[in-house]
Amino acid sequence: MPEKPPREIKYLATLPVNILLNAVLIIPFAIMIYLAFLKWSPAMGMNWWEAPITGLTNFARALGDARFITALSRTTIYTVSVVTIEFFLGLALAYIMLGDFVGKKAAIAITIYPLMLPPVVVATIFYLMFQSYGPVNNLFLRAIIGEDALRIYWFLKPDTAFITLLIADIWQWTPFMFLIMYSALSAVPKRLVEAAEVLGASSFTIFWKVRLPLIKPLIIVALVLRGLEAFKMFDYAFIMTGGGPGTTTETVSMYIYRTAILYTDISYAAAMSLMILAMIIVVVRAFIWYFFEKGR
Amino acid sequence: MKFHGTRVLLSALKYITIGVFILWVLIPVAWVVSLAFKPYAEWRVSYFVPKNFTWNNFIVLFKSEAFIGIMGATAIVEPVTKPLINSLVVTSLSTIMAVMIGFFTAYGASRYNTPGPFGLFFTLLTRMLPPATFVTPIMVYYSNLKLLDTHFSLIILYSAVTVTYGIWILKGFIDAIPIEWEEAAMLEGATPIKTLFKVVLPIARPGLVVAGLFIFLLTWTELLFALVLTNVYAVTLPVHISKYVGAVGQLYGPQAALALIGSVIPIAIGYAIQKHLVTGFTFGMVRG
Repeated sequence: MPEKPPREIKYLATLPVNILLNAVLIIPFAIMIYLAFLKWSPAMGMNWWEAPITGLTNFARALGDARFITALSRTTIYTVSVVTIEFFLGLALAYIMLGDFVGKKAAIAITIYPLMLPPVVVATIFYLMFQSYGPVNNLFLRAIIGEDALRIYWFLKPDTAFITLLIADIWQWTPFMFLIMYSALSAVPKRLVEAAEVLGASSFTIFWKVRLPLIKPLIIVALVLRGLEAFKMFDYAFIMTGGGPGTTTETVSMYIYRTAILYTDISYAAAMSLMILAMIIVVVRAFIWYFFEKGR
Repeated sequence: MKFHGTRVLLSALKYITIGVFILWVLIPVAWVVSLAFKPYAEWRVSYFVPKNFTWNNFIVLFKSEAFIGIMGATAIVEPVTKPLINSLVVTSLSTIMAVMIGFFTAYGASRYNTPGPFGLFFTLLTRMLPPATFVTPIMVYYSNLKLLDTHFSLIILYSAVTVTYGIWILKGFIDAIPIEWEEAAMLEGATPIKTLFKVVLPIARPGLVVAGLFIFLLTWTELLFALVLTNVYAVTLPVHISKYVGAVGQLYGPQAALALIGSVIPIAIGYAIQKHLVTGFTFGMVRG
């Protein structure tokens, strides 16, 4: 193969993707950076390029906006909780399913199907599950605490509403962690495990000292990807709780969506978006530095 | 035989854990499936198998009806037919676009390192950052271009945000194709374009199918962009579901039926590419 690409190939490999990404994402992104420094809303009756530049006003406003800060910390709590729970559940499950057992293929096939469902469908499922006459109250809690269970309104209290969101997320995405951990653990060379067994290591030691260090890079990849996905969370809250009661289960995505669409405060939404983007990039960079680059 | 006893106990514990997890995964869906076939009188009962089996919940979804929604506001609910067709059209076309563009880019990246490592990594960002942080300027931009509520706007947007998967999944497949075959074809006098289409494309076809199905799955399930960019004409299925569930309040049966309609295609696709799901979800960083 020649070192330099033939001209046709070079154009084919770079032009379409560049045109697409520039036209659809990069130009809007540039517009967003500009918008963030304006004071503009479609209701002002002018085009955005005619709007007055107000500098850092929008950013300062976001820092003093209790609803934004609360949404941000709530989304962070949400992300950390679901990713932690999903990781440990998924890892445990992957370890248990590693050996051979009867019906393994079927068990894996059933375990992973929530992954394929659209989040809107999962949200609908759990919206139905947590109705006051839904099976969570009517079947499980009724068996434990009796008829009072039917008077639990999950979506009317901030704490319980938040819990329903956590459960929906854990239900759908534990299989994601399971799948990655399972394929990572299966890829650990058998001879290493056998060698450790010959040396008399217990299965706990083998797991802790042999398997886990080998799959560490994949664990980081899985945690970062899942964390980024969880931080985006919009669909569950939009359908199940509508961000409510009040704004007590509103995530960052929902607040930006509402600021832009409902309150048509476009420039403020753009400023918040930029701040979120900057935060995500810093956090991910720090994560990668901590696990891959520190001490090298 | 104390040792034997612990072993039996451990293996029993293993089966119990797996069994509990399978129940945890199955019960919500079993409930929704049963709800979808229950008549109104059985929506609030605690048993799973419907006593009077009915298709009615599905039938009402295809009719245009007015409901008294939350807080007494009436909501006119459109039939599900149009969103379903819209979703099929938008998802198929954007998938084809993303896969083809992804294929060309992946080929260049794999054989000649064309966009460079930074360029490739940059495409990952489009998938990692929250859609909510992009949606504001995209809405402004599209409304300036008079593209709001059109199929075209959704198709190009979806292919732009999923082309990353096309590039990364296909790069893995193309990397695995021996380079000698292309060299042989070129020695025979084939042009580079001809080599690409007649030699690489047929061999990479399984990769194209996997990437395509995976992108189809992702696009089919996307809500936020469609919610912001469509209004009446180009509404997709997830948008329809989100509006319907909110509008009809406690019509559990039709809500459940709609959830089933929305999950048939993704489930079928998911199992078709079950082996490759890991590769897909991790941008090809992890081999399934």
